[in-house]
Amino acid sequence: MSTLVTDPRPLSEGRPQERGRLYGLMAEFATPGELLRAADTVRKEGFRWWDCHSPFPVHGLDKAMGISPTILPVAVFGAAATGALVGFLLQAFTNSWSFTIWAIVWVTGYPYLISGKPLLSMPAFIPVMFELTILLAATSTVFLMLLFNGLPRLHHPLLKSDRFRRVTDDRFFLVIEARDPKFSRARTESLLRSLHPVAVEAVED
Amino acid sequence: MAHAARKADLSSTLADANIRLDGGVESIVRNAWIVGGVGIVAALAWAFLSGSGAERIGRVWIVTYSFVLSIALGGLFFTIVQHLTRAGWSVVVRRIAEAYAANLRWMWLLFAVPVLLLLVTGKFGYVFPWADLAHMREVHPDEATLVEKKTAYLNVPFFLLRSTAYLAIWAALGWFFWRRSTEQDADGGIAATERMQRWAPAGIILFGLSTTFAAFDWIMSLNPAWFSTIFGVYFFAASCTSAFAAMIVALVLLERRGKLVGVVTAEHFQDLGKLLFAFGIVFWAYIAFSQYMLIWYSNQPETTGWYIARQMGGWKWLSIALLFGHFVIPFLLLVSKHPKRYTTTLLFVAAWMLVFSWLDLYWLVMPQIPEGLATATSYRALAEENAGVSTRLADPLNWLALLGFVGLFVGSTLRTLAGHALIPVRDPRLAESLAFENM
Repeated sequence: MSTLVTDPRPLSEGRPQERGRLYGLMAEFATPGELLRAADTVRKEGFRWWDCHSPFPVHGLDKAMGISPTILPVAVFGAAATGALVGFLLQAFTNSWSFTIWAIVWVTGYPYLISGKPLLSMPAFIPVMFELTILLAATSTVFLMLLFNGLPRLHHPLLKSDRFRRVTDDRFFLVIEARDPKFSRARTESLLRSLHPVAVEAVED
Repeated sequence: MAHAARKADLSSTLADANIRLDGGVESIVRNAWIVGGVGIVAALAWAFLSGSGAERIGRVWIVTYSFVLSIALGGLFFTIVQHLTRAGWSVVVRRIAEAYAANLRWMWLLFAVPVLLLLVTGKFGYVFPWADLAHMREVHPDEATLVEKKTAYLNVPFFLLRSTAYLAIWAALGWFFWRRSTEQDADGGIAATERMQRWAPAGIILFGLSTTFAAFDWIMSLNPAWFSTIFGVYFFAASCTSAFAAMIVALVLLERRGKLVGVVTAEHFQDLGKLLFAFGIVFWAYIAFSQYMLIWYSNQPETTGWYIARQMGGWKWLSIALLFGHFVIPFLLLVSKHPKRYTTTLLFVAAWMLVFSWLDLYWLVMPQIPEGLATATSYRALAEENAGVSTRLADPLNWLALLGFVGLFVGSTLRTLAGHALIPVRDPRLAESLAFENM
């Protein structure tokens, strides 16, 4: 990390505040349209470690940033299919199967004979299969979403910035992280300034 | 700059050539009406030549009528719900639903004329067995004792009164939403939107009650001893299947003919696809299974007969076909967002669902509870005895009648649309709808 900022003074001299290393450069925009244009430019410059922040979803931002579609739906479909299968096996195993292991251990579930219906009765299994499908699909949606987004995290460097507070109100931000291979303090700053932001701020971790 | 470009873009998008049917539609309307008329005449001619009894003719009429009715009622449901929720996204697709629902202003004829004919010829009891209890007592004495207790509800005068009420409610609602919406095209006032929103809650309650009871009276009462409290919801689900599929088919075909380009986009198709998926495929399966499971589990003789009839001979295969064709296959085809946004796949699934919605209604209406049900010694014996029962799907009567009613329906829908724009051009939420995007 070439951009690591170090304080030459030793700790014992009582410097007021530990200075962190540079997290990235943050540009603040007044409108979503400016953010879209800025995102378009930054993408074309070839940056990889950067993100946009806005008070509401901005249509077309994914495209401007060049974000590839999420694989979340595929994963959720897999979880849902697993739920249906588990639901079926659970009931088939407990209600209908009995077997022995080397004729020593007898494995019997909970065969429940009711109104002459066979032990392996699909109609009776479907509600449980349905519920498990929904349960696994819903929980995997939430938790995989958190996982893919790197959440939960207890701290984010941007939250230190007072300027960034307006992201929940009326300002739009684009942040290029210092770890990006193309990042250079001076050149990246001049790039961001050329995009007509309200302000550019260096954010430290 | 960008603003001006967008404005110019919008004016070409909303040009008459893009949002109105061409003059050539008149010939399509005429042809559809000819097909409709010829279809009905041919169906009747075939029925008499092949010696189909009054019962079969009556039941085929109910299948065919409930199919076109389900499209119109689903369109009415969609229209009312948009006003109920003050939806913005749906403005550009709403006119199609309104036009389907507007057919309800004349579709009472397709019910009233056959019913009058049945009453005049004294064959009403052949179709609705509860109307001829004396006959029922002879052939199905056990059933008759159950049905006798229902005569306070199931009698001809009350049936006619209720049917008149449903048809009047639908005609009034369908016409009300069509008129207000097209009036707004002319005057551009917000009053029409406000009136429609004010009437939407009452409209949806009337719609729900009338549709539920119509399904009880017109379809469930064909087996008067049998009952299922969820049956009205089942027919509602079938309406959603037919109507959302028919809306998609109409909009994709319009797009293919160069209409509504840039107006109805992949975003709107995706949402219609979601509605077809949610209501027409998943909700239908949910309701159909809910009805089946309770009857299967409780195993009561007076209710299981209805399903046993659908497990005999050819009906077994149609039941399996519905499970896969109305649920499993379209579920897998439409579960992803991509086939919903790509109009070719969406059109395919929608056309597929229309076919299966008709098959579903055929499956609801046509099967006869086996004669030997009460005396059968075992299920296996009954199944063997009825192994040869045919669904008679290939009977030209089905297809000629369908051609007839669908011809009239399509012709009338296009005729209704021809004089107006294909979208509510001055709806206050039109801009919101044009700019609509899924995330």
